[in-house]
Amino acid sequence: MDASELQPISDFLSALTPFDSLSDAALQRCCRALTIGYYSKASGYVPLDEDHPQLYIVRTGAFEVRNQDGELVDRLGDGDYFGFPSLLSGDKISNRIQILEDGLVYHLDPDTFNFLRNESREFDRFFNRAYAQRMRHQGRFKAKEMATTNRISTLMTKQPLTIDVNACVADAARLMRDNRVSSVLVIDNQQLKGILTDRDLRNRVIALGHDGQLPVHQAMTTSPTVLNSQALVFEAMLLMSECNIHHLPIIDDGEPVGVITSTDILRGQSTQPLLLIGEIERQSNLESLINVSKQIPLLLQNLISADARAEEIGRVLTSVTDALTRRLIVLNQQILGEAPLAFCWLAFGSQGRQDQAACSDQDNGLLVAGEMDEHAQGYFEALTKAVCQGLDSCGYVYCPGDIMAQNPKWRMTLTQWQQKFEHWVKQPEPKALMHASIFFDMRCVFGSASLFDSLQDHVLANTKGNDIFLAGMAGNSLQVSPPLGFFKKFVLERDGSEVKGIDLKHKGNALINDIARVYALFAGIKEVNTAKRIRELMQLNIINRKDALNLADAHEFIAHMRLSNQGYQYTHNETVSNYLMPQQLSSLVRHQLRDAFKVVHDAQAGLKLKFTRSF
Amino acid sequence: MNAILSKLGLFWRAWRTQHPLIKDYYAELAKLLQYKLADIPMLAIDLEMTGLDPAFDQILSIGIVPIKNGQLQMAKAQHKLVSIDGSVGQSAVIHGILDNQLQDALSPEQAMQWFMQQSKGHLLVAHHSPLDLAFLEQGISLHLAEPVKLLAVDTLAVEKRRLLRQQEVFKEGELRLGACRERYNLPVYNAHNALIDAIACGELLIAQMAAMGDGDKLTVTDLF
Repeated sequence: MDASELQPISDFLSALTPFDSLSDAALQRCCRALTIGYYSKASGYVPLDEDHPQLYIVRTGAFEVRNQDGELVDRLGDGDYFGFPSLLSGDKISNRIQILEDGLVYHLDPDTFNFLRNESREFDRFFNRAYAQRMRHQGRFKAKEMATTNRISTLMTKQPLTIDVNACVADAARLMRDNRVSSVLVIDNQQLKGILTDRDLRNRVIALGHDGQLPVHQAMTTSPTVLNSQALVFEAMLLMSECNIHHLPIIDDGEPVGVITSTDILRGQSTQPLLLIGEIERQSNLESLINVSKQIPLLLQNLISADARAEEIGRVLTSVTDALTRRLIVLNQQILGEAPLAFCWLAFGSQGRQDQAACSDQDNGLLVAGEMDEHAQGYFEALTKAVCQGLDSCGYVYCPGDIMAQNPKWRMTLTQWQQKFEHWVKQPEPKALMHASIFFDMRCVFGSASLFDSLQDHVLANTKGNDIFLAGMAGNSLQVSPPLGFFKKFVLERDGSEVKGIDLKHKGNALINDIARVYALFAGIKEVNTAKRIRELMQLNIINRKDALNLADAHEFIAHMRLSNQGYQYTHNETVSNYLMPQQLSSLVRHQLRDAFKVVHDAQAGLKLKFTRSF
Repeated sequence: MNAILSKLGLFWRAWRTQHPLIKDYYAELAKLLQYKLADIPMLAIDLEMTGLDPAFDQILSIGIVPIKNGQLQMAKAQHKLVSIDGSVGQSAVIHGILDNQLQDALSPEQAMQWFMQQSKGHLLVAHHSPLDLAFLEQGISLHLAEPVKLLAVDTLAVEKRRLLRQQEVFKEGELRLGACRERYNLPVYNAHNALIDAIACGELLIAQMAAMGDGDKLTVTDLF
């Protein structure tokens, strides 16, 4: 038989690792040995025959591997494998394969599988490695933290500072001062004898009244707790908190090779955002601030590629924006002088909710403590103009709706703001509310917290339990529905003939933000971050636990898809947008996205039932 | 099931036929139709022809793949080219079989004998089966000198009934093999020959059977 006769199958396999390492002949033999089955979601689990282990190759569909306790071990889509652990180990099949989405699966018998393992070392190694990984990764879907996977060697100070055991403490202190470190390793003949830290100098030298001539070995901590450089950062953290210490000497083959401190670990955990914010705080003029702000897109990329949670990315990026805003206010106050009245810089919308992403525009306002005289008017006008302009230059473009502190309309006293909100709440015209909803996600970025509280308390007192207003807000948020069609198919946005994809922001996250906002205003919750609002609603039993967790997960998942899609667009020099083409997703991810939208759909139905009476 | 057989006149034909291959085919078929659907061995088939009229056009190639316990057996998948009178002519554009490739082909008589041997003990499956069956019945009666009536599951008819049950209005082309496969999340095959299309049809059938639900309760009547 001609080799090309099973072309669709051999094409598929030859694109898969490790089948791509097989010779043509071996690949053809493999194709010929397959049997093809189809598994439907309705049957629940893939029936696994204890006596006939096989390699299962997923051609289409989506599956979940679960262990005896029902815990998730792995998620599988096109081109993934299952069944190999019992093939390799000969052990009984212990995992169950749940069918998430109907699909076609190829089966390979043990004889051919072993033939291929003999034929190609790479093939053999691949499955052995996958087996080892599967064993290790039993809990991989719980939490992914960098601290658990990184090695100490990536964070520690190499070539540690050392001092001889017979030197005096004054020499040690001078050495530490000159090198600007808080500890020194004490050695004798290349062997670590102890560690001398700031704390030792304080507690064992000065507090006891010794002078600088005290030998180091009398002040040091003898036989300190140590680790080797291949240990996990996580282990170092654990050890430090258990022993209540801040310095760990790192020993390889009996010799000190480094030191790791709690500061090193802290820095390693969130290097860039902290550094960037630190840098923002240090800049003394607008030009240098603009320069620093150019790193923000890069920061976003780093966070995306580090696979950080979308909620964390939003919080980190927003704290950078907050820092920039604060720095701009401070710098301009240095020019304009002290403010004549106490004030608050208010952030609305995405900055308020702490979920900023790429290309955010600014939404802000100014809250002033008392009546403004002419001088105060002039002062705040100049200040807000300068800050808004500064933000614009740093990449936060002017708000197209002109919701900015530099607009006199949004620069008001406490009473004026209170009246404004009262007006929205008491006369909830749908159109007005649609524009006003972003004001309800407000946060104080700079200024007096008590001033801000008096505004927020007033607003929440008005909205809490206010049926008519809440019905208006709910009605508004139900105007848009998630992009799922009749048969749970995705509905794509079109621009004329061009298909733009799924709008993850306006048909996804924005809907969840709306839902959380209505409930939060109903309950009088001060929190404006959507994830935190949902958490609090759950604690107050306003949304039941299961629905709340589902909604929070959907929010995170859709936001994550949006960010990784933008990361992809950015690295491929495409226009960064909120649109996602579902064809580019694996069927597994498509399945998850559909489920997430389904959750949004259900939550909307719940909102409708609770707040609107039009049924 | 006997109703289906009587309708085809299978009992009568089995008794009447002289050709051993055809006699065996009928005898085995009558037996296997009594099994539960999941236990019936099947054979997904597809033909390439020089045209669409069984009276004038000829079979160019036959692809078969057996289905056992609901799984396609690639080890026994086969593809045979059949020699023809004259040239493949214009139809080469569609099936891609050129005259020079037909040199190692079976003669029509060999092909029909081979096909009857392979079909023995299997329920045939084809997409839009009336066309394929018409060509096969024509070929067999011509070359084996014995009229025959074949029985095949038609995946197109199965799909049509399913869509009608769902009260769906279907448009032109929605019952084509590729369109049907898409509804079951089956992969798109760009290449086409009798064997690949036979596999595609077999996969569609197992997907359709999975969609019907509880495999243990299904009988062959659910497919007709």
